[in-house]
Amino acid sequence: MTWLAAFASEGELKQAAGELRAQEFPVETYTPKPLEEAPSSPVPIVIFIAGMVGLIGGFVAQTYANTWSWPLNAGGRPPISWPSYIVIAFELGILFAVCAGFFGFLIACRMPRLYEKVDECPAFRSASRDGWLLTVGGDPLLSRRALERLRPLLIEEVPQ
Amino acid sequence: MSDIPAPEAVDPIVLPGATPDRLTDRIAAIALRERAFLWWWIALIPSGALTITLFVAIIYLFYTGIGVWGVTWPGMWGFAILEYVWWIAIAAGGTFISALFYLMRVEWRAAINRIAETMTMFGIACAGLMPILHLGRPYLFYWLYPYPSTMQVWPQFRSPLLWDFVCIQVYLIASGLFWYLGMLPDLAGVRDRAQTRSKQVLYGILAMGFRGSGTQWRHFKRTYAVLAAVMAPMICSVHSVVGLDFAGANTVGWHSTQYPPFFIFGAFLSGFAMVLLLIVPLRRLMRLERFITGRYLDVMCRVLLTSSLFLGYSYMMDAFTTYYSADKAEITMYNARVWTIYSLAYWGKLFCNILVPQLFWFKRIRTSPVMIILICVTVIFGMWYERYELVVMSLFRPHLPSSWGDFSGTVWDYLTLFGTVGFFVFGILLTIRVIPVISMHEVRELMEKRQ
Repeated sequence: MTWLAAFASEGELKQAAGELRAQEFPVETYTPKPLEEAPSSPVPIVIFIAGMVGLIGGFVAQTYANTWSWPLNAGGRPPISWPSYIVIAFELGILFAVCAGFFGFLIACRMPRLYEKVDECPAFRSASRDGWLLTVGGDPLLSRRALERLRPLLIEEVPQ
Repeated sequence: MSDIPAPEAVDPIVLPGATPDRLTDRIAAIALRERAFLWWWIALIPSGALTITLFVAIIYLFYTGIGVWGVTWPGMWGFAILEYVWWIAIAAGGTFISALFYLMRVEWRAAINRIAETMTMFGIACAGLMPILHLGRPYLFYWLYPYPSTMQVWPQFRSPLLWDFVCIQVYLIASGLFWYLGMLPDLAGVRDRAQTRSKQVLYGILAMGFRGSGTQWRHFKRTYAVLAAVMAPMICSVHSVVGLDFAGANTVGWHSTQYPPFFIFGAFLSGFAMVLLLIVPLRRLMRLERFITGRYLDVMCRVLLTSSLFLGYSYMMDAFTTYYSADKAEITMYNARVWTIYSLAYWGKLFCNILVPQLFWFKRIRTSPVMIILICVTVIFGMWYERYELVVMSLFRPHLPSSWGDFSGTVWDYLTLFGTVGFFVFGILLTIRVIPVISMHEVRELMEKRQ
């Protein structure tokens, strides 16, 4: 069984989440804005790799097309006139990076996920307004007792 | 709300009384309104009519051919390309605000970011339409893609025109994804306020299950920041490439290394002017004065003034390099620009883009909605003049005097122009009817910092 609890402020929520995590309960916070903590995520690395793939891949593809597959030499430039391939390579790098960022974010968050059990709780809707919420899993009796010690504004049961 | 005072330059970034819960309720209520505002209908009808005009003009163009326009040899670029540059520059303003100023961590972008990005989307749509219409054989536009064909040839990747084709598409896709990503938390906010089943389902699907969980925010914050860092150089590259479309050709007046930055300065100016043109009426009509305060207007006007000075520098360098080059064709063309047939466009652009924005040196004017609208409309006109004389003069005063000619747009040119304006407004109106018009999660962070 999981409990949903609301706290009065960001500070109280962060403190409560810290204490519950210290007692090894599985905790997830729900807040209207990012909590002030150092965010860590693998998505930027994915963005970087995808950007590099786009950049190098775009450059190679252009060189293949205009220099090797069908040498197209207008203007008497050298066969591999690399400066003129930079722009499209750069743009493809950007395209790959942005797509990787968007879809990487969705995958990292397991989105789209339109339904979760926590949605059934009436109090949950305030998480996108001004509520500072968290859910606690683990042993229901122990987690309930631990929650009550932290003096939340309310505690609701998340339906099974 | 009658208790809202007139905008002042010294306003805080959010007015007192603007709290996260009031913000959320207000923005969600706008998106969830059962009946649209009256002004919305009043604006929708003419812009819808112009959108239909645009489609009529396009159908007639496709049916008859490019000859319906005023383009003629040697001036093959005419209205379509000048409007392409005009629109893409307007679009760029939104990306400068959403990406470049995000990286600078300025506080006066959060509340206008969403409107600016929406403007970008429709600016790109209008811009992207133009080169396709201008192709003459628009149904063959896919030849620009490198695909293995039976002809065994590939596009010429050394051409700035192909770079541009790639840039526009990357710009459209990247802006769209960035806009949508930034909107996910706010769509979730609207979903949680929705009362009817159909709206819950609609916003539920649009929000894709964003719940503000710790995991989601952690990934969101990092991804958004890194994507902003990717978008900022992209917008500079896109507009530089538009400049290279011109500079790449050995055409009198265009063949100059200053074109890429010159075009970026122009994009700053027209983009910010259009953002101001949208936020000044919308903050009043949608009653967002508490969140888009006088401080936003003041800062945006200062930024616009700065861009105008940048552009003035570019105009000066344009004149300087021409006369310093001692190139006879360049000087002849430039003299024709300044003193003969199209001198109205030349002096018009100086007046509209450089002289008029100098009014923003006065604090009174920077916070006066009427003056801001008048000046920004002037700037938008001025930027159109600038592209007009840029495109038309260079093409009709080439090196060979026997090719000199004269240009005037036909009625179809003007119908297409006004049609895109209508389409731009129409698209923005439809979009702001359903989306959260202020980036709520960013403004919530701003409010917290203020307390």
